Amino acid sequence: MIYEVFARKTRGEPLRHIGNLNAPDDELGKVYAFNTYDEEKWFDMFVVPRDRFIEVFNRLDAAETGERAAVLAERAAGERAPVNE
Amino acid sequence: MSTTIGTAARAADLGPDVREGVRDLILMLADSKRLLGMRYGNWILGAPELEAGIACASMAQDEWGHARLLYALLKDFGDDVDRLEHGREPDDYRCMDALDREPGSWPELIAVNTFVDLALTVQLEALAQSTYLPLRQRVQKLIEEETFHAAHGTAWLRRIGRAGREAQQVMREAVAAVVPRALRWFGPDSRYAHVLQEASIVDAVGSGLRARFIERAAPLLRELGGIDVAELEPDFTGFDESTRRTPGTAPDARTIAQVRGDRNRAFLMD
Repeated sequence: MIYEVFARKTRGEPLRHIGNLNAPDDELGKVYAFNTYDEEKWFDMFVVPRDRFIEVFNRLDAAETGERAAVLAERAAGERAPVNE
Repeated sequence: MSTTIGTAARAADLGPDVREGVRDLILMLADSKRLLGMRYGNWILGAPELEAGIACASMAQDEWGHARLLYALLKDFGDDVDRLEHGREPDDYRCMDALDREPGSWPELIAVNTFVDLALTVQLEALAQSTYLPLRQRVQKLIEEETFHAAHGTAWLRRIGRAGREAQQVMREAVAAVVPRALRWFGPDSRYAHVLQEASIVDAVGSGLRARFIERAAPLLRELGGIDVAELEPDFTGFDESTRRTPGTAPDARTIAQVRGDRNRAFLMD
């Protein structure tokens, strides 16, 4: 499963997307996020399974279908965690 | 407690038998962390997934950092730190004996990760309020850095335990090889141990530390099944308290050559 990793430097600051990783469950997802992304002094850090992201809308919804498909493909490929899913 | 126990800012402020016990303890912890770091480090490239390899790199880095810091403390006891780090023979090492051999499989590393790391952490926690101040001031940071080591070990132990009967059996065997050694490592409730407790260097002797270890290990062992901690009463025959090992046993020469950095000796600079 791919997890997206979010963190922020200071309290109150917006969360920042800092990367992603592969993990079999939430427990290891947390451990791996810490091990992989803790080189900076974060205030807090979160992981979210990618499949729990719920799209609210996309500007291309109403547009020509080819472009919309291209965006979905980009999203699937471009933000991929480094190894096999 | 009715008596006030003074603190010691320097080793020289400790009574002679306390001083010796503290030095033994620091060296045992430092050597164990040095070896443990190397065991993690050797799995950076062999871990079952990239992220687990990164976790091993991170844990190795932590353990070597802790070892460094602990060796440095021994300067206060008149030790030559360079000799401690680079000039000793395998027989001189005081690491926990569960670390003597390279874990031969990922489940074996996970058993070490979960239970050797836990034993070292339990020992460190017993030093958190130590009257020997240089130790007290450093121990908390070390304990905090151990949090994710424990989480990694536990998560993997469960994962392997769920992966089918065969995997579960392999995991059990690996754990059964490590846990008795970890329990024995805390040592007997002897005069030697009581000297350090009475001086409030540590807040417990062997049996107390074992109970803390068991409290945390028991739920994991129950989940895995097949190991009864109650049956693991340690046998201290031939146990040397100053090293917490059986004399005549040692890590293999290859391990120590790697730990000392023999092949990189020429590049060592001050």
